[in-house]
Amino acid sequence: MSLAISAVDYVTEIKNGNITVEEFISKTIERIKKIDGKLHAFLSVNENAIIQAKEIDRKIKANENVGKCMGMPISFKDNICVKGSKTTCASKVLEDFVSPYDATVVTKLKSEDAIIIGKTNMDEFAMGFTTEFSAFGPSRNPWNSEYVPGGSSGGSAVAVSALESIASLGSDTGGSVRNPASFCSVVGFKPTYGLISRYGLISYSNSIEQIGPLTRTVKDTAFLLNIIAGIDSNDNTTVDNKEENYLNDIDAGVEGKTIGIISQMTKGVDKEVSSATKNAVSQFEKLGAKIEEVSIDMVEYSVASYYIITATEAGSNLARYDNIRYGFDFDLEGYEFNSYISKARKNFGPEVTRRMILGGFVPSAGHAGKYFLKALKVKNKLTSEINDVLKKVDLLVAPTVPILPFKFGEKIDDPVALFLIDFNTVTANLTGKPAISVPFELSNGLPIGIQILGKEMQDKLVLQAAHALEKTTNLPEVPV
Amino acid sequence: MNQLVSKEEIDRVAKLMRIEIDDHVVHIDRVQKMIEYFDILDKAGLESEELIIQEQKFEDLREDKHIPYNEKLIDKLKNYKNSYVRAPKMV
Repeated sequence: MSLAISAVDYVTEIKNGNITVEEFISKTIERIKKIDGKLHAFLSVNENAIIQAKEIDRKIKANENVGKCMGMPISFKDNICVKGSKTTCASKVLEDFVSPYDATVVTKLKSEDAIIIGKTNMDEFAMGFTTEFSAFGPSRNPWNSEYVPGGSSGGSAVAVSALESIASLGSDTGGSVRNPASFCSVVGFKPTYGLISRYGLISYSNSIEQIGPLTRTVKDTAFLLNIIAGIDSNDNTTVDNKEENYLNDIDAGVEGKTIGIISQMTKGVDKEVSSATKNAVSQFEKLGAKIEEVSIDMVEYSVASYYIITATEAGSNLARYDNIRYGFDFDLEGYEFNSYISKARKNFGPEVTRRMILGGFVPSAGHAGKYFLKALKVKNKLTSEINDVLKKVDLLVAPTVPILPFKFGEKIDDPVALFLIDFNTVTANLTGKPAISVPFELSNGLPIGIQILGKEMQDKLVLQAAHALEKTTNLPEVPV
Repeated sequence: MNQLVSKEEIDRVAKLMRIEIDDHVVHIDRVQKMIEYFDILDKAGLESEELIIQEQKFEDLREDKHIPYNEKLIDKLKNYKNSYVRAPKMV
């Protein structure tokens, strides 16, 4: 029995009785024990997973109703609340926090008999690109452990890529699902804003962040989306998807579609990434799509706008961490109210501290006009420009990340170099559009992903195009 | 280099954000680089751009009613004593 199967194939294997849930879960846990000491994808592992697997096997044997996931091991980024489990956001500030409730995505997957195999590593409070900002140490790229796995959902990407979990849910504020998916050669999807409930996702930047799946195949993303998408009374930003079935017509292809290449996102990229993008475009042409180069001027300003908006929202969202009602073990005795809170908040890591300073600075009196209001105007104008372009083309394509995965420590001291990693991904977040990263090539053993972006609520078309591109590839198994 | 963000400015903002900063040099340098990058927005040509404010109708909002939870959540909080959460004293 191989762990290198897709979620859709896993369900078939279980239904056909070729494997049991217990066998698969046991093997997955063995794998985690064997390799996660090195890769550090997980911050915690579910110790009851085998007991839960046995119960699902019993239900299958007894012909009782079993949910669509049939006991498949799924992991969650550690900023998604799972009742009774630690949810740390990879921060010392929440080191001892145990969530008293389930996020909506967790409730939905549990009700379909998914087994939560563990909680995955991330950059602290999802602020980062490499997992180097995790308070508990970074994750490592399974394709070459000297290299970063991307971030902030780096642990989720590593877990899926290294066969430690069939699928994972991460969060994408500026590329945090797609960027590590690209670096680790897995599929990463950021849906239309509001398609997936954010209830139970620890807030960083509410106006643009979304929960998104990381999977081995595009079909697996569609499979998960069928379960987790849709309106939720606990999240007023959710949208009604009319119970769309994302797996139906997944083979529709791109014949007759017009695909735009965003010129701003293909300039100044690594030559290997540029070559892969040209190859992907050529594949789309062979599949019958018409290709057009398009220009979206505001893309040049998107990263600055993104950082100003997210820092401002983070400054407000993270104000709640005073360590009084929940947090880490730090006695109140002997402290005055304000000095206690300041001392407790020293447990934030350096990147979170810097972004909160930024979040206090950019919207403050005297600076808001120069920074925050301009950032909001860029967001408006970018949305208007991309909507105009998407009237002429059906889909947009670009490299997911402009550069190849890089070594640990290489960029950590240069905040602007780190900012620019997100150059191609933040546009989808600022404009609420769906976007996916598809594994496409390897260059010297390092993965390159291609991003496909579509119109709001046309997530299905994005998945169809991604599936068509995925079928043209023939990538090797991960070398661990 | 134009000193955009001074130590005093960072101190002031950090105090507002309730953060104690021991090592100013590290944060000043990095925050300054970030803010310098944001100056790119001066070239974006946004003079005629209006801010769009999203409106939501009252009737589209969730009903404002108490939804009972099946567990006593206050029991799960830190520093919980009898029927209240204990906080540090205010001087």
